Amino acid sequence: MSGEVLYEVRNLTKRYGAVVALDDASMKLHAGEIVGLVGDNGAGKSTLVKCLSGAHQPTSGQILLDDVERNWHSPHDAIQAGVETLYQDSGLAPHLSVSANVFLGRELVKPGILGKMGFLSQKQMDVQAHRDLEEVGIAVPASGRSVSQLSGGQRQAVAIGRAVAWASKVIILDEPTNHLGARQAGEVLNVMLEAKAKGLGVIFISHTLPHVLQVTDRVVVLRLGKVVKDAPTSEFDAESLLGTITGLKIG
Amino acid sequence: MATTETHSPNPAGTQVVVASSRFKTLISNQQFILLIVWILMVIGFSLINHIFFSVGVAENILLDWAPLVLIAVGELIVIISGGIDLSVGAIVGFTGVISAFAMRSLYEGSLAEQPYLVLAIGVLVCVIVGLLVGLINSLLINYAKLVPFIATLVTLGACSGMALVFTKGAPVMGGPREAIALSPAWIGPFSRPVLIVVVVVLILWAFVHKARFGRYTFAIGSNSFAARAAGINVKRHVTKVYMLSGLMAGLAGFFFYLRLGSGAPTSGLGNELDAIAAVVIGGAALTGGVGRVSGTVLGALILTTVTSGLIISGVDPQWKRVVVAALIAIAATLQALRKTEGGAS
Repeated sequence: MSGEVLYEVRNLTKRYGAVVALDDASMKLHAGEIVGLVGDNGAGKSTLVKCLSGAHQPTSGQILLDDVERNWHSPHDAIQAGVETLYQDSGLAPHLSVSANVFLGRELVKPGILGKMGFLSQKQMDVQAHRDLEEVGIAVPASGRSVSQLSGGQRQAVAIGRAVAWASKVIILDEPTNHLGARQAGEVLNVMLEAKAKGLGVIFISHTLPHVLQVTDRVVVLRLGKVVKDAPTSEFDAESLLGTITGLKIG
Repeated sequence: MATTETHSPNPAGTQVVVASSRFKTLISNQQFILLIVWILMVIGFSLINHIFFSVGVAENILLDWAPLVLIAVGELIVIISGGIDLSVGAIVGFTGVISAFAMRSLYEGSLAEQPYLVLAIGVLVCVIVGLLVGLINSLLINYAKLVPFIATLVTLGACSGMALVFTKGAPVMGGPREAIALSPAWIGPFSRPVLIVVVVVLILWAFVHKARFGRYTFAIGSNSFAARAAGINVKRHVTKVYMLSGLMAGLAGFFFYLRLGSGAPTSGLGNELDAIAAVVIGGAALTGGVGRVSGTVLGALILTTVTSGLIISGVDPQWKRVVVAALIAIAATLQALRKTEGGAS
């Protein structure tokens, strides 16, 4: 099912002062693959995500996209290269409308001189945002509504739809099913499968192990900043995965 | 498709809902409320003393309103971005003084025959000094990591202090006398400088509510983390916001110069609080992400109308502070109530 290697980290280390948050971690993500990234609190998941998304720069090690080494200086660099990241609980600006959020950072502008001055083509964005979200299987209320008026599940759906609509290569989802009901979480998992079918690489960070086992192709387990296991999902069940995460071998 | 809950199968019921929600939007529309409040004020003051309802009073209100609205719209943009700018009042006095010095030396020297060129250079000096102070604010915030309150408190102290030291507290005179002559060219109640202010405010309205500049400002004030994650260069945008605020205060500084015919170090004293009051009365939230230029324009108009109205009604104008305090309390309460209902602006 998986194509060529899309996104790769080699021997990535990140230190914050004396603290080693990520210690010589390596992993690969293929096109059309969902990789689960799991680990206990403080295992280094968030640090790895921040390095992958360009929010932080690693102390040492390499990040490769399409076999080319990349040095992300900011999230902007990663986004430009086709790597979208959805952060835990903070992907959207609540005071802005749905379409303003979908187009945040890549607004459509009016043609001609008005566009050069940054004047927005709001109607076009409203229409297109609605279409983009529907395309990835998300039913959203009117594009013009402010995000603060949406339910938690709807917000998450918009955030994920936005990431899937824009990503051309990789999507990184940090705890996307947190605080969601079973039905809404199911919708989110479906969007991930949709993204996979589009040939994108998906990195799925979660504490909810049943979700991880349900949709991923491979699982990477982090413990104390190190990659302790990288194996096909079929090799795990809930119990053995939990054992690997905590380091307490069961069976 | 899945927006089923909002689509009622009963068309009559839907219509009722739409009508009542439209009424609700109207009464929860801060600009509409402000307009009503302002009209009631004008009627009330006119009933107390019919002199209030005259072109002369309107002229005076607009002359007070123009510099305030310049500062307040700059302040609004800072507040939408989630910051605060306490230095604007100090920038008014500081830029007025610096440009008065520049104009005096030019007018007494090589450009004695060209008063309007001297005045143009005076505007330029105000603009540049205002932009520079705004730049310093943004450097303190972005790189020295000071919170905006402290950063702009620092420049407030520095600018107002320097203005007093350089002038020994006295107004700087000796610029072109044509400065005074610029004001009394009236078109209705609008003098030429007031008209220019109106144009500046309209341009800012467009950039805040219709352009990318405003979109980024709201996004940063709403959730700066999300803005950065979306690829927005937050530091650069914050720099633009504070420089714009400094620029607006600099323009207000020149406006005061035109009115007084001199650069007074104390001309902007306390203006930052009036500006923040106008912004809050206009419906913006100090937590960022919320605000309208039209609200701030009306907020500033209400403040200046209250001042003139109290004077004409024979009330001690110091009561203005109390009235303004009450208005702020009401505006902030409305804001809080709307928030608990779950609706955003």
